[in-house]
Amino acid sequence: MTTPMTRAMLEVNELTTRYITRFRESIYAVDHVSLSVGDGKSLGIAGESGCGKSTLALSLIGYYFPPLHYTSGEIIIDGRTITGMDPDEVRKTILGREISYIPQAAMNALNPTQRIIHFIEDVVLAHHPGTPKKEIYERARERFELLGLPASVLQKYPVELSGGMKQRTVIATSVILSPKVLIADEPSSALDVTSQKMVIKMILDLMDKGIIKSLVFITHELPLLYNVTDDIMVMYAGQVVEIGSADEIVFDSVHPYTRALMGSIIVPEKGLRDVKLTAIPGTPPNLKNPPSGCRFADRCKYVRPECRVAPVDLHETASGRVYRCIIPEQELRTLYEHEKR
Amino acid sequence: MRYMLGQIFSSVRFRIGFSIFAFILLTVLIYPLIITEPPLKTISRGTFLSPGIYVNVYDSIGFSPQYTLLLDGAAERRIAAKLNADDRASMKEWLVKAGLPEESIDTQDTAALLEVWHANFDPTIRLPGMTNADRNYYIRLNTALDGLLATEGATIAVPDATTGALKEQAVVDQTSYVNIYEVPNSRVFPLGTDNFGRDVLTELVAATGVSLIIGFVAGTVATVIGLLLGLISGFLGGFVDDAIIFVTNLFTVIPSFIILILITFSIGQDKRGAITIAVVIGLTSWVWTTRAVRAQVISLRNRDHVNLSRLSGHSTAYILMADIFPYIASYVVMAFILQVSSGILAEAGLSILGLGPRTTEVPTLGLMMNWGMIYQAHILGKWWAYFPVILVIALITFSLNLMQTGLDRVFNPTLRE
Amino acid sequence: MPGDPVAAIAARMAQGMSNATGVQAVYEQYTELFGTDKPIPEQFVIYLRNVLRGDFGYSISQYPRTVGDVISSSIGWTLMLQLPAILVGWILGNLLGALAAYIRKGFDRVLMPASLFLSNLPAFGMAVILLVIFAVNLKWFPTSGGYDYAMVPSASWEFMWSVIVHYQLPFWSIVLITIGGQAIGMRSMAIYELNADYVKYARFLGVKDSKIIRYVFRNAMLPQITGLALSIGTMVSGALVAEIIFSYPGLGNTILTAVRGGDYPLISATTLIITWMVLLAFFSLEILYGLIDPRIKAAQSE
Repeated sequence: MTTPMTRAMLEVNELTTRYITRFRESIYAVDHVSLSVGDGKSLGIAGESGCGKSTLALSLIGYYFPPLHYTSGEIIIDGRTITGMDPDEVRKTILGREISYIPQAAMNALNPTQRIIHFIEDVVLAHHPGTPKKEIYERARERFELLGLPASVLQKYPVELSGGMKQRTVIATSVILSPKVLIADEPSSALDVTSQKMVIKMILDLMDKGIIKSLVFITHELPLLYNVTDDIMVMYAGQVVEIGSADEIVFDSVHPYTRALMGSIIVPEKGLRDVKLTAIPGTPPNLKNPPSGCRFADRCKYVRPECRVAPVDLHETASGRVYRCIIPEQELRTLYEHEKR
Repeated sequence: MRYMLGQIFSSVRFRIGFSIFAFILLTVLIYPLIITEPPLKTISRGTFLSPGIYVNVYDSIGFSPQYTLLLDGAAERRIAAKLNADDRASMKEWLVKAGLPEESIDTQDTAALLEVWHANFDPTIRLPGMTNADRNYYIRLNTALDGLLATEGATIAVPDATTGALKEQAVVDQTSYVNIYEVPNSRVFPLGTDNFGRDVLTELVAATGVSLIIGFVAGTVATVIGLLLGLISGFLGGFVDDAIIFVTNLFTVIPSFIILILITFSIGQDKRGAITIAVVIGLTSWVWTTRAVRAQVISLRNRDHVNLSRLSGHSTAYILMADIFPYIASYVVMAFILQVSSGILAEAGLSILGLGPRTTEVPTLGLMMNWGMIYQAHILGKWWAYFPVILVIALITFSLNLMQTGLDRVFNPTLRE
Repeated sequence: MPGDPVAAIAARMAQGMSNATGVQAVYEQYTELFGTDKPIPEQFVIYLRNVLRGDFGYSISQYPRTVGDVISSSIGWTLMLQLPAILVGWILGNLLGALAAYIRKGFDRVLMPASLFLSNLPAFGMAVILLVIFAVNLKWFPTSGGYDYAMVPSASWEFMWSVIVHYQLPFWSIVLITIGGQAIGMRSMAIYELNADYVKYARFLGVKDSKIIRYVFRNAMLPQITGLALSIGTMVSGALVAEIIFSYPGLGNTILTAVRGGDYPLISATTLIITWMVLLAFFSLEILYGLIDPRIKAAQSE
């Protein structure tokens, strides 16, 4: 069960997107994904690398360019459906204003030959043509100072900034137009521990100071999500395998994959420290031709013949848990108990 | 090895480049087996014979069986060859100037035109605005008109040894033909002859071979020097590296072509053989190989396997050959291919300046180009004397560069799109 | 001494003299003038000292003109021809390369093999082809020279027009040769930049495509300046040969006459001057690049 619902800021229904390779093959990296993030809430998305979480981040923005293509489903931001809108209209009225994005590799996210302020000018002018430069500068300075960044950064070139500073500059730039929803794709993964902390604190600040209303935070580090977001969604091979509140996913997961994922991570949280660390054997399936049955079957400890017969649906149990497995919740829990002993 | 060849040939660029190059190479190897004539032999008197089949006139009249063919339009074509549209217009111009009404002259009706012409033309009259050259032209034209409409054959007569009187020997009818294959002497010049009266195609094939050898020798010299300097400089570092990199930088900015001009000029025409030129080109073009090899070696020299080899006490030479060379071999091959093509271009540039190999032994593509330019083949419209040369040079460098970029994509996956 | 260039001049000057001692006197007079009577090392030192003073001595093939005089009458033609031609070729090549990278399909497929082939055509080949098409066949432009030989150089309009007409073919053949290589370099550079993270990020923040293309073009073009600096020597060499094809009165033909006349002083001075020009261009471009690309500025201040 996810945390109690407020008014949905971001709602996604059965979104499917695919990559079309140069050999004209389709790779469905996001396969019928549904999710919802309420006002003032945050959602974490976790999974191994290659599970489609970064593609999901790109897909949520609703602005597609090759090789990524929209296939089906809808994205609703604060009651406004953006799928099916004219791409130029999306660019002008949605991007940066309604939904914004912090990229994975902030190191190279800024044009190396442009001063920060000039990029911010380009961003603002793309949405509000004719805004005086002076006004843009004032707004940028205010926003940067509010987020604890010196205004002098604005006059610098990206190469003149340190890694952590660059990432924080990117974050501040992403929210310059106060978007309702912010998608953060592993914003801290390439940084040292100190910078990581500062970046996480800054993102939480964005929520507290009301600059953004909802947050989608993507990472391969499950424990990090426990501290940052209200809900967590686990993805595997382009599909959602389990979704629930942070507590449920971290301490009491149902799906074998979520269990395995938690088991493969060193977690400093109390009560989990004595869990044995085990890597998940095998590799995720090739998305060019995914298996017909459960996609995790080949790597699952509890696999049964019927797992491989037909696609498995995401379903909600009577207790309110949402996961994608044909084995009933109770039976899974018994299996886990046996294993502990 | 087989896998790597498969990889290389999977690149379309490489395949195209390789096919063109293989075609040129095979032609150079096979052609001399069929046509064994020396390439620099003067065959024709007179320069720049145009491409075509040359049939011995004496043989075709005297010795070959003659056949009668009745072809439609033969007479018209014969007349058109002797009297073209420009000549007809000139005739009309003369007649109009001489006072005839313009509409009475029909330039299309040859018989009528000739009748009016013979009735009026007088070489002694000098019409207003006519230069001497014009007058001579009209006199020549008038002579050429003789027998234009004749239908009888041409008579061949020889003077009698004693009386000196002409004695008819044979009559060649207008409908007489010979079969080219039955004429004992005929010669095909697919690309005509050059200013010295040599067969351009034979010369071109030989020149291509020599130019390829020049490119190959220059490339080998440059690659060996570049590889050695790059390996030493990158692996040893320190003072040796500084010294080598200083020289390399110096040669990077000083245009190598200028150095080439100076060296070849100092050697002097008599001592410049094709191979000498090739070695000199190689000596001036190793810079890029050195740079590329050095950069690669620097990135390799602290790899684990190199350190391991060093710890196990292997000599520097052994480490360079066994642990480093295999990793840079692909770069060296690519650099070599580029050196070959730039070597061929450098020879051509030098030859145009008159600094090519001495001209008496072998033709090169550059020398052929030089001869064509000196004898103004391009201005005289003798395309066969220079255009095939340009085309062959461009095809060789094009094919080599295609092969190089093809290899580059195989060995540097980041370049694939 | 066989092929002694001084002997050749002496023979020319002594033409018509009948007595052997007179000829010998003329020869000695000239060996003294050219300094060839002294030992080679001494000649070299004298030469170096003179060059440092800007004195290149007398030209052998065009005696009694001095080398300085011969070069100063041709250097202007070469500068006026090559500098604009290489720059225009560089700019056009970069534009085409960027366009090819941006449009890719179709355009790319036709343009790229074409420029690849063009860039492999030797400079003299391009010159000859243009000359044959536009001067010999179409007769739009003259076949050779820097101006009509019937004219005396003056500041008149007719003379200017003649110079402009004679300028076109050499200019465009250098431009076309330059375009090919530059377009190929620019295209791969621009494709690399188009896939850069900052392009994606700017798109996701809603920045207009036209703006993003401008970022990409600028970033891809800056390293091309260094590319130009490194290849300027090769370009100038090719252009000199192209000048010869058009009998353009520049340094290319100076080298040609020097080679034909066995003119040592002239050839060393010409090559020296060309090397200086290339070095000057190289360092100006490097400095320019350092000034306008912030990536270099930051790397230097570290």
